[in-house]
Amino acid sequence: MSENNEHEHSNDDGHGHDGGHHVNYFKIYVVLVVLFLISVAGPEVGEMTGLRWITLITAFGIAVVKANLVIQNFMHLRWEKNLMKWVLATSLILMFLMVAGISPDVMNHEGNNWENVAAKAAVERGVDGEAEEETMVVAAPVGFTPQGAFQTVCATCHGTAGDGNGPAGAALDPPPANFTDAAFWADRDKQRIMTVIQDGAAAVGGSSLMAPFGALYTDEQVSELADYVISFAPDGAAPGGE
Amino acid sequence: MAHAKPLATLRSATGIPTGRLAVWWVLASEVVIFGGLLGVYLMHRIGHPEWADAAAHTQTWIGALNTFVLLTSSFTAVLAHQAAEKGNGKEAAKFLCFTILGAMTFLVVKSFEWYNEISHGYTITANTFWSFYYTAAGLHALHVIAGAIIMGVVAFDAFRGRELHRVELIGIYWHFVDVVWIFLFPLLYIAK
Amino acid sequence: MADTVVDVHQHEHAGHDGHHDPHWIVKYLWSTDHKIIAMQYLFTGMFMGIIGAYMAYVFRMQLAFPGISVPGFGQVSPGEYNSLITNHGSIMIFWVAMPVLIAAFGNYLIPLMIGADDMVFPRINRLSYQIFLVSAIILLASLFVEGGGFGGAWTSYPPLSAEGDYNQTNLGSSLWLLAVALEFVAFLLGGINFITTLMNSRAPGMKAYDIPMVLWMIVIASILFMLSVGPLIAGAVMLFFDQTINTGFYDPTRGGDPILWQHLFWFFGHPEVYVVLLPAIGITVDVIATFARKKIFGYKLVLYTAVATGVLSFFVWAHHQFIAGIDPRMANVFTITTLLISVPIAELLFVMIATLYGGSIRLTTPMLWALAFIAEFLIGGVTGIFLGASGADIYFHDTYFVLAHFHYTFFPIAIIGTFCGFTYWFPKMFGRMMNDTLGKIHFWGTIIPFNFIFIPLFVLGMGGQHRRIYNFQHFPELAGPEMYSLRQIATISLLIMLAFQAVFFFNMFWSWFKGEKAGKNPWKANTLEWTTESPPGHGNWPPDQMPVVYRGPYEYGHPDREEDYWPQHLPS
Repeated sequence: MSENNEHEHSNDDGHGHDGGHHVNYFKIYVVLVVLFLISVAGPEVGEMTGLRWITLITAFGIAVVKANLVIQNFMHLRWEKNLMKWVLATSLILMFLMVAGISPDVMNHEGNNWENVAAKAAVERGVDGEAEEETMVVAAPVGFTPQGAFQTVCATCHGTAGDGNGPAGAALDPPPANFTDAAFWADRDKQRIMTVIQDGAAAVGGSSLMAPFGALYTDEQVSELADYVISFAPDGAAPGGE
Repeated sequence: MAHAKPLATLRSATGIPTGRLAVWWVLASEVVIFGGLLGVYLMHRIGHPEWADAAAHTQTWIGALNTFVLLTSSFTAVLAHQAAEKGNGKEAAKFLCFTILGAMTFLVVKSFEWYNEISHGYTITANTFWSFYYTAAGLHALHVIAGAIIMGVVAFDAFRGRELHRVELIGIYWHFVDVVWIFLFPLLYIAK
Repeated sequence: MADTVVDVHQHEHAGHDGHHDPHWIVKYLWSTDHKIIAMQYLFTGMFMGIIGAYMAYVFRMQLAFPGISVPGFGQVSPGEYNSLITNHGSIMIFWVAMPVLIAAFGNYLIPLMIGADDMVFPRINRLSYQIFLVSAIILLASLFVEGGGFGGAWTSYPPLSAEGDYNQTNLGSSLWLLAVALEFVAFLLGGINFITTLMNSRAPGMKAYDIPMVLWMIVIASILFMLSVGPLIAGAVMLFFDQTINTGFYDPTRGGDPILWQHLFWFFGHPEVYVVLLPAIGITVDVIATFARKKIFGYKLVLYTAVATGVLSFFVWAHHQFIAGIDPRMANVFTITTLLISVPIAELLFVMIATLYGGSIRLTTPMLWALAFIAEFLIGGVTGIFLGASGADIYFHDTYFVLAHFHYTFFPIAIIGTFCGFTYWFPKMFGRMMNDTLGKIHFWGTIIPFNFIFIPLFVLGMGGQHRRIYNFQHFPELAGPEMYSLRQIATISLLIMLAFQAVFFFNMFWSWFKGEKAGKNPWKANTLEWTTESPPGHGNWPPDQMPVVYRGPYEYGHPDREEDYWPQHLPS
């Protein structure tokens, strides 16, 4: 990278350039403006003749030529050390590499065991902005069910059957509540169950091992969850409504 | 607080002055930022021929005006560099001010254009073409703003004959901003 | 927070550079001196490392003893668990490995080892640290906002990361992304500084092949970082828009593509592995040469191999996505390149072993760490072969085998590499020697438990244990007693390892103030940083004594010399 170290520095001392470059900047500017006018006119010509490739050539071909003129003459890359040309070329080549690696997946709408149905449909309809807005599929949020929530969160300690024999509960002292026990329900109502779910058992004077889960659920979901917990109660022991 | 330059800054083992060397590296990292964004846009654009309908709503003549403005500002930036090389700080500052004026014009035209488009309902969320349109042009506009601010500082110093080598450095950056727009113009406006 | 630590210690040395005495805040928080900025990076990195380790402790406890109320944390809810593993990963890579290995060692060593008085852009250097500090604060703040910290894994795949409905942490995920983006900006600024300094500011006489290997590695890593991070910055802006203003860049129903993020992320993410690996290898090579008292086996070989690794690292990214539905033809290409990249890495390890061969080895603490790097990284590298083969990866993907594999690479890089470098350059940084006995106790207390943490996880991964599971009891086939006993071994080993870090911190602070005075060159090493005072004053050398270089950095045991080392700055 720094092999140029051995080079004589005399040419590049001080300000970096060995004198003026004798470039007529104005001439280059005029060439740029002319090229620019051609690139703007390109689509018109393309439309008139019905040849789409004319537009593409005037648009992107001229862009490359213009960029090259600016980089070589205005940015003075022509007179720069080869080292920096290589650095810039490397970063550009990397971008081609990136596009080559990504495009098989992103440019196509189907691949190995998958199909981008939405993209295909959009292409087929040829929709514009507004129409797509209407047909946009709104993905359903992840569903909440009281059973699901109980089995993933509560059952760890309270057991899948609500009997307090969850695998993680075995080591706890006091043991987790057994919802199938009639005695448990003797002095509890739904409001209290909801409070415990939301704020932890410590909030009603119970064990702090029952952590608050209020951040996970909305009030409505907590209410459904509490109903589900009550459903474990043996017949006759279940508390009434609110 | 006055800041004495360390000896390290003055050395030049590669023969490229330190400031210019750093600017080239900055540009290398900018090439991959813009290259990544434009590459991604290109892939999507080829995969979605229907975006041509959305692209038809971009206003070519405004884009063309802005291209011309940036080309001209690039020209004045290189004239500023020429003046700085001759040691004429006041002349360099004058041309830098022209370049800043170009940047301002560019931004004013751009905001007029965006205002127009947004009021027609083509917002950034209207469709993914417009999302790319605003993201790419917005990222570029941020570079224009940053360049204009730095150019103001450089022109202020150059007017007093200080740090003249910085005129070239900000010029190189400014030409890069121009080059990015040279590619954005056909990508977003011409290729319908 | 970490700054306070820096202040306290730097104040100790306030007398050393006596030309001017600005207020200590200006001097230590607003300093442009590369050594102070290096210390800021080092201690911020250490502080973040402690946080990351604490997170590991909390979720390992939850995994081994589900539902337990973790001492010092309380009960872990599923959301908190996700947030903990996500931020553990992000912190350890972006806020520990990068700032310590690249920024701290790079800032400290580059000017000292090339004989310069500072970095070429001292103020940009300071700005880089300040942006980094802000990013660290934002990340820590994101853990305490409403909804909790981001829990979508450090890879942040959409749609989980893009849709607030899915991840439930609207604010947390945006702040996480912002912190990561700022961190990238900080390292772009720092990286440009490193590259330019090394290219332009070398001491007179120092040619490309006279540069110590660690500097080459840090600079190659900076270049890799710079060239790979660009597309991800663009991608992060797009993800940020998806999160905040509801664009559809990664939403297939609106013309976007979720797999695009995976590509952009890993186009950066895989070179990133080598970004942190190369500095660690550089540190290890330097330490091995010094303590084997031998020239490294093939300076140019190491250099070109590192460059080859860097180039190849851009061709392997999609091996992270073998089962994400990428084109199978691409999977073949990426399998081949992935297996190819093990060749230069193996070469680097062989060079280290060949350097040891026939050397007069001194088993000091830094040398032990360097040897451990070879041994442990070898395991990490070899297990990567399994994952790089697309066929085998179908089974291994997203199991604890992957997790154990990358911890066997990242631990040697980030922890062993850091301790190796820190113990080696401690005398230069603070002017005193670290206690060798305590250092060795800490070494064994770290290395042995480390293996007991992750070898069980290899076994569990082979047994099909999936990653990202909060509580294995919900999966009867993963909840057997033998699996739980392996998990508990891992967790208890972690506790032991963390406990032994106290020895390190005690040793560090004790040596800092009470250690034996080090002198200029305690290890009898050749490189330029050992020719100045310990710790070096402002400007590193007196202006009239800036060093001049006459030879390469690894001239140990030269037959014409009485002493077994030949410093770079001595005229022949």
